Amino acid sequence: MKRFSVMLMLFAFCLTISAQTVDEIVEKNIAAHGGLEKIKAVKSMMITGKSLLQGIEVPTVIKIKRPNMVRLEMSLQGNEIVQAYDGTTGWQIMPFMGTKEPQKLSAEELESIKDQADIDGELVDYKEKGHKVELVGKEELDGSPVYKLKLTKKSGETSYIYIDAESHLEIKQTSSQSFQGNKLEVDSYFSDYKEVNGLVLPHAIEQKVGGNTMMQMKVNKYELNVDLSDSIFKMPTGK
Amino acid sequence: MRIFLVLFCLAIANAQVKFDSVVLSGLEARAIGPAVMSGRVTAIEAQANDPRIVWVGAASGGVWKSTNAGTSFKPVFDKYVQSIGAIAIDPKQADTVWVGTGESNVRNSVSIGAGLYKTTDGGQTWALVGLEKVERISKIVIDPKNPEVVYVACPGALWSQSSERGLYKTTDGGKSWEKILYVDENTGCADVAIDPQEPNVVYASMWQFRRKGWFFTSGGPGSGLYKSTDGGKSWKKLTAGLPEGELGRIAIAVAPSRPSTVYANVEARQTALYRSDDMGENWKRVNSSLNVMARPFYFSFLAVDPKDHRKVYKLGLTLGVSRDGGESFFNIAGETHTDHHALWIDPNNTSFMYLGTDGGVYKSYDGGQTWSMLRNLPVSQFYRVWYDLATPYNVYGGLQDNGTWTGPSRSFGGIKNKEWKNVGYGDGFYSFPDPTDPDIVYSEYQGGRLLRYHRATGEIKHISPATKINEPKLRFNWNTPFQPSRSSPGTIYLGSQYLFASTDKGESWVRLSPDLTTNDPEKQRQEESGGLTIDNSAAENHCTIYAISDSPKDPQVIWTGSDDGLVQITRDGGKTWQNVTANIPGLEQNSWVSSIEASSHDPATAYVTFDRHTFGDMKPYVYRTTDYGKTWQSIVTDDIKGFAHVIREDLVNPELLFLGTELGLYVSIDGGTSWARFTSKFPEMVPVRDLAIHPREHDLIIATHGRGIYIVDDISVLRQLKGITEKSLHIFSSRPSIVQLPVFEQEFPGSDEFVGATLPEMAYITYYLRERHLMGEFKVEILDSEGKVVSTLPGSKRKGINRVGWPMRLKPPRVAQARSSSLEGGLVFGPTVAEGLYTVRITRASEVAEGVIELVPDSKLPHSASDRKLRHETVMQLYELQGKLAYIADAVELARKQAEDRSQKLTTELKKRAESLVGRLDQLHKSLVATKEGLITGEERLRERIITLYQSVMSYGGRPSSSQLEQLDTLQKEVVAARAEFGQLLRSIEEMNSALRAKKIEPIEVLTEEAWLQQQQ
Repeated sequence: MKRFSVMLMLFAFCLTISAQTVDEIVEKNIAAHGGLEKIKAVKSMMITGKSLLQGIEVPTVIKIKRPNMVRLEMSLQGNEIVQAYDGTTGWQIMPFMGTKEPQKLSAEELESIKDQADIDGELVDYKEKGHKVELVGKEELDGSPVYKLKLTKKSGETSYIYIDAESHLEIKQTSSQSFQGNKLEVDSYFSDYKEVNGLVLPHAIEQKVGGNTMMQMKVNKYELNVDLSDSIFKMPTGK
Repeated sequence: MRIFLVLFCLAIANAQVKFDSVVLSGLEARAIGPAVMSGRVTAIEAQANDPRIVWVGAASGGVWKSTNAGTSFKPVFDKYVQSIGAIAIDPKQADTVWVGTGESNVRNSVSIGAGLYKTTDGGQTWALVGLEKVERISKIVIDPKNPEVVYVACPGALWSQSSERGLYKTTDGGKSWEKILYVDENTGCADVAIDPQEPNVVYASMWQFRRKGWFFTSGGPGSGLYKSTDGGKSWKKLTAGLPEGELGRIAIAVAPSRPSTVYANVEARQTALYRSDDMGENWKRVNSSLNVMARPFYFSFLAVDPKDHRKVYKLGLTLGVSRDGGESFFNIAGETHTDHHALWIDPNNTSFMYLGTDGGVYKSYDGGQTWSMLRNLPVSQFYRVWYDLATPYNVYGGLQDNGTWTGPSRSFGGIKNKEWKNVGYGDGFYSFPDPTDPDIVYSEYQGGRLLRYHRATGEIKHISPATKINEPKLRFNWNTPFQPSRSSPGTIYLGSQYLFASTDKGESWVRLSPDLTTNDPEKQRQEESGGLTIDNSAAENHCTIYAISDSPKDPQVIWTGSDDGLVQITRDGGKTWQNVTANIPGLEQNSWVSSIEASSHDPATAYVTFDRHTFGDMKPYVYRTTDYGKTWQSIVTDDIKGFAHVIREDLVNPELLFLGTELGLYVSIDGGTSWARFTSKFPEMVPVRDLAIHPREHDLIIATHGRGIYIVDDISVLRQLKGITEKSLHIFSSRPSIVQLPVFEQEFPGSDEFVGATLPEMAYITYYLRERHLMGEFKVEILDSEGKVVSTLPGSKRKGINRVGWPMRLKPPRVAQARSSSLEGGLVFGPTVAEGLYTVRITRASEVAEGVIELVPDSKLPHSASDRKLRHETVMQLYELQGKLAYIADAVELARKQAEDRSQKLTTELKKRAESLVGRLDQLHKSLVATKEGLITGEERLRERIITLYQSVMSYGGRPSSSQLEQLDTLQKEVVAARAEFGQLLRSIEEMNSALRAKKIEPIEVLTEEAWLQQQQ
């Protein structure tokens, strides 16, 4: 009888190490980033870094502010490329397309930029946001054990998130993105996680399409709770 | 319990790094094609409601999908076996597609399959749904009314008896299978068709066939044509009007527009086309023209026009079409590659067709009168590969049914179809350049017919040896060994049953051996081979030498291996020979010697691969001897899949081995103790028929039989891998990188041709990480000889080998803020850095490793070191000049904006002065940079003139012209003058500022050069 109970305990113990539920993984992921409280305390964020696009280095600044505001700036040869979203309107300035006038984003581009306006990331409060997260399984990603999560967003878009089984941080996310009217499967790899005021944030992001590197971004610094005026996110009205 | 867990964790922490695909995965292969000729295509299916969406299955090149009617294709099946027999699209769910693996055009070189696959998401993911053991699948038919019902015709094993063959059926979308028609272990199902109006009416042809290494039989008592009217529950053999006696392969087609009309191409003593107009009950012989009778085992595809039951297509040597129910045929598609296997006809517009041949896919918009070749399917089936020592080097190789070709290993912007040159015809095999005369390329076609091609004139000389009087006929394999000596440049070896050598470019041949085969007369009956239809194309030639390897260490040591299983060695240049086959343990007699590799390091060492698939044994056999063949050790592990074709020993590290099998490429870094499959950017189960290591570039050149040539650049890192796999971070030394200059070509070819991947204009930095990097800083820095960081790269962070490219350029020049929005292409790139040694420093969290890379000039360019130096200095001067100008322009513009602002706040005289200042600043600014808005303003100011000169000096590798140097001088002087004028303006600004301060107005702040540089960082 006693032996039996030990066996049972062993069995139960094995279960707890092997079978993590989705919510446990999401919880550990949030904890690995510094915890819900610290994430929620971030009201705005300014990310400064460099993007490497096919060998070309482009200074990049991303500004995010709650709720749902984001502005991306890249400068090339003294010209500034801007993409922004103020919670309702998405717009861009693409000087190399021949005009410095702001243009509205297409519906598909708008979907992509909306995601970036979410400071928390998709996994925080995913149920409240109307997303669905499923655990596909524990598998190997290029030799590293990972949890593969399937994220189905409120919009119906799906993506896969690969969480490192040891650190519980994201290694990779595979999503379908719109690019010049085409749908592309984009693999984003996250690394160089470092602590910033108690938050653990990736300082390098690499995006690949079909195994080929399209973009690498190296973050020099994250500035949290900086003063960002709402007006920079709004589409400028004509001159 | 707690202790157990701790132990468990320790065990994991101490687990050794396993040498596997993951460790290798950062070392990528690149596909160079070509697709100028393509390869055998076995299946084509397009979407009936949208024929732009088309799926192509290749004989051993996987599945390709196009969504633009073949303008471009993507491979969608790279993780699976590449031999494709059949494809079917679900008529109700177009994203559901079935792929049957294992081709059924059972020629000698045919590959093998691994079951039936299904995708439900348009090819993104695939599931194996059964029939894993059938080896070949020839047809998949989906019930149009209920797509869960699928019939699959499986001819089954070619080389052995097997009960895993026949007609299979599922009624639940592939979850379960039932074999619904079976004859015996020698007879499979060759074809199946259903009545589209009454899908329970099923026709099936059973086929008895068998191939051996030396003989083929098509036909026998098992063959026959069958019909079921109850979905395969019961069958009736159809005979009325069909030929009596034994039958062979039968192709079936039901007319979609009038299903009571059924056609059957029946192989018999008298092969002919038959037609039934009463649902198969009675048959009438209608035609036996050449294209109908030709090679039934190879050409067995019939199609009826979807709208016209009397219009029938017979695929054969070419495309035959009949408009009178098969009574008479005429041939169309004369300008396509011969040997046709697949045809798809648009049911809504029957003049639109896709055609699959031995040389790729064609499409027609006019019912087959004219055809366009789709030049974007690199499914070429190479047998052999060689290289030369040109810069860049060229590769050479022969292909199944597509001749012999040579093309460059790299080319600016990618390797294009037009860069490949045809140097031999027929089925191509060995080909190599003459080591002393660059004009000459040797090649051969099937059965040992040797050719010597002269590049300058295009002439071809036939150089086969003569049969001497009273000597036996020379026996040559389909794929005859014909190769240059590895130790004596100028000597060429050739194997029939004898070993031959030529030292006069093939003009004459010396016999170096007696018959080195078993000379078994039972295996020399190829004139009787074929079964019902004699088929003697040299494919069954047997008792021949198949492999030759001479020792680079000792020219007297030569090995041969024969297709009938003999390994022989001479140690005295051919005077005496020793048969060492019996010394090889664990090997059946008569196992086909597929390759021999005499070691580059030791004359007593050699490697041999044996291929027993012609006996139905698909396992690899690989052995090594280190004592001239007295003893042998097997170096096979369970990690190797597929029968073995070729082994190569590295030229530098004898523990580094490469093995090509029917199911992929394998690498060992420990002399064959362990093997890892190579999978990065490489179809991992593609047949690998030959391998070569380039002695100068250290590239691995891979001849795939189905996906063209692949190159793995600079494998010298693999030589260093053993012994460092436990290190957490290690930088490999690598070959010098060439500082390449762009080559311009004004061409706008569109998107419809395949372009082979080239070596990027980057220096490779290759390093090793024991684990993926996730936490903390990671960067790859490149430092010049003075220790200054010239570039910082984010790096790659995967477990195992990582390779990143450094563009060998400085940052782009600092550029003045422009008002125009045109992107200056020349300014996107910085100048190339100087040649020489650079330090690589990798920082990973708290760890730092250093290595060295060397940058060398392109040896193709004739410029002297001093000219290259002058060019570099000139470019750098322009680079800096652009920066100087940028500062002046930005400072002037900033001052102008402020002056304009202040002038608004002033009145009377002072306002006028401020306005005048604004005017002068604006005038200066306009002389420095183009200021008109728009894309093509044509405005050229100092900034634009410096850009133009910077670009033009940079585009040439040698000395800048005198005019260019003069122009540099002019521009430098103009910048000095601009600077002086700005200096004068600064005084005016200072005067203005005094006045402003007096009025308590904010003065104009002048941007200092230091502050500007700070901003630029």
